[in-house]
Amino acid sequence: MNTASKTQAMSNPDRRLISLSNLLPWAFAALFLLCLPLVFQSSAALTIMNQMAITIVFALSYNMLLGQGGMLSFGHAVYMGLGGFFAMHVMNMVEYDGLWLPLPLLPVVGGLFGMAFAFLIGSFSTRRAGTVFAMISLGVGELIAACSIIIVVFFGGEEGISGDRTMGPEVFGFDFAAQSEVYYLTVIWLLVATALMYLFSRTPIGRIANAVRDNEERAEFLGYSQRRVRWMSFIASGFFAGVAGSLFAINFEILTEENLNLATSGSILLITFLGGVGFFIGPIIGAIVFTLLQTVLGLYTEIWSLYLGILFVACVMFFPGGFAGIIAMHRRPLALGKLNLLVGPYLKVAIPAITSVLSLAAILEISFHKRHSFGDDHEMSLYGITFNSDGYQALALTVVIAAISLFLVSRILPSIKAAWDEANHAGDAQ
Amino acid sequence: MTVPAIELRNLEKSFGLAKIIQGVNLKIEKGERHAVIGPNGAGKSTLFNLITGRFAPTSGGVYLHGEDVSGLQPFEINRRGLSRSFQITNIFPNMTVFENIRCGLLWTMGYKYSFWHMINGQRDVTEKAEQILEEINLTARRDLLAGTLAYAEQRALEIGITIAGGADIILLDEPCAGMSHSETDLIVDLIRKVTEDKTLMIVEHDMGVIFDLADKISVLVYGEIIESDVPDAVRASAKVKEAYLGTTLEEEDA
Repeated sequence: MNTASKTQAMSNPDRRLISLSNLLPWAFAALFLLCLPLVFQSSAALTIMNQMAITIVFALSYNMLLGQGGMLSFGHAVYMGLGGFFAMHVMNMVEYDGLWLPLPLLPVVGGLFGMAFAFLIGSFSTRRAGTVFAMISLGVGELIAACSIIIVVFFGGEEGISGDRTMGPEVFGFDFAAQSEVYYLTVIWLLVATALMYLFSRTPIGRIANAVRDNEERAEFLGYSQRRVRWMSFIASGFFAGVAGSLFAINFEILTEENLNLATSGSILLITFLGGVGFFIGPIIGAIVFTLLQTVLGLYTEIWSLYLGILFVACVMFFPGGFAGIIAMHRRPLALGKLNLLVGPYLKVAIPAITSVLSLAAILEISFHKRHSFGDDHEMSLYGITFNSDGYQALALTVVIAAISLFLVSRILPSIKAAWDEANHAGDAQ
Repeated sequence: MTVPAIELRNLEKSFGLAKIIQGVNLKIEKGERHAVIGPNGAGKSTLFNLITGRFAPTSGGVYLHGEDVSGLQPFEINRRGLSRSFQITNIFPNMTVFENIRCGLLWTMGYKYSFWHMINGQRDVTEKAEQILEEINLTARRDLLAGTLAYAEQRALEIGITIAGGADIILLDEPCAGMSHSETDLIVDLIRKVTEDKTLMIVEHDMGVIFDLADKISVLVYGEIIESDVPDAVRASAKVKEAYLGTTLEEEDA
């Protein structure tokens, strides 16, 4: 008895609701985000970071459906878009009708609207998962996108609707005219929304959502209505999508049909999948990588979306766990203390792998330039080298480099495979 | 006269033109261990699916403790105190063993659709789940993904999930299918242990298991119950011998 109570007392610290080790990553993330603007001060950088934060919230809300609830939605932009449009109308009411609402609370309003709409649509779309759900989400997405052109009063037609975020009451002396003030508002909402979504995944309903995803029939025989479970996840997801939409409205002060069309719905699926649907952190990584690719790569090349498409296909084929999955794959070697075995092979493959990626991209770029350059403008520059894209010398050279580097990669791969097996093998060398 | 735990009245089920269950009448008393046997394709699994709400009956009724439950959804029937396992292992493969059991507990422990409890903070659930893990001998596998367990362990886990919610009527569909002799012995001991004071209905092909466990046996052939009695009487029954050992056509026609 005495020993039993003693061991219980000793194991108690782990069972505390919020332990220090759980809190630490959050505190670190918060500190990091609050310090970021000290390093990146330009308005363009702040815009990119805000865009990233909004995409993270949106992707996490999408993963409540796909990763945690097993619902493949092709129309999630609807909830973000509608939440954003509604938030924009409220923002205009603040400006013109004297409605009292401090700007930092606007995402709650947009979130509630997204939630109400998810409640309505979810009442019939969550009856079944799988293809039925996916098709309904596609249909609703198309419907709302069509409405946004037709119902001009609410959606503003092709120009969309715009507003002015600075017209509300000041909060602690901030009127949110400066980009940096908006950054802090966005980041605080990012932290709050992320924490809430994380906590949701650890409630009974969050866990049962996983159970329904895994095996809906078994969950039914444990007393849970699969439809009700999916519906509740859907409503919660709609709230956070609405929050993301409101943040978009605050940041860009304009919403158009683009915010709720199928292309946006498709890209959030892509972002979430790239990051890894099986992990809470997956969509966060996906959103960061995607926004960086979109903005930074977009500066250098017109065909960045082609690269993104290739990356997506490669990810689905070779790394279905996404970026987060690749990181998680290394947990076992780390736990076995054999991560160092992988460093050498990784370094060895890095140079030929990078060369092959760059040369394959060069083939695409040169071909693209050949087709699209005007008249005699054959001069192009790539990786800091300026050359003539007319004729076949440049193309031939890149093809040769690509072939050689790919050959080298294929020669090194078996040794990586061997190192990988060894690193995952418990005990001494095989 | 007590109300039977399970009562089937003129239960029928057709799929298109095929009549799979043709008028089954059966009463299972509270606390009874009742086995259903019969040749392949006799409709044993269909009978289970009708009782548990996986299928709706074509006609007739299913009564749990006297209450008509025919046509209700599986989750509604489960909430009335009936839990089942499946012939083909039916667990949550991408969740840990511990979480599998915990999912079986949440509804009956009152957490239902809660989004205001932190699940890891609920000590009552954690303790109960650990106690069940101990009972089914899977404590050592607690944090493994259920899909990675060995077959026999998955079967034990399935029984654990089934009994976790504390249902008083347990239906087990071929719990020993595909197991070795020693594994079967372990599972039978486990079943006996966890269904104490509960009503058990079990479908099984292993006759050793049946005669070992059951208080009563029903023999289902072509969707009809041809015999329902204590094991010794069933063993002696001419009709059952006919059905199992096969008879000449003349005898059947006669």
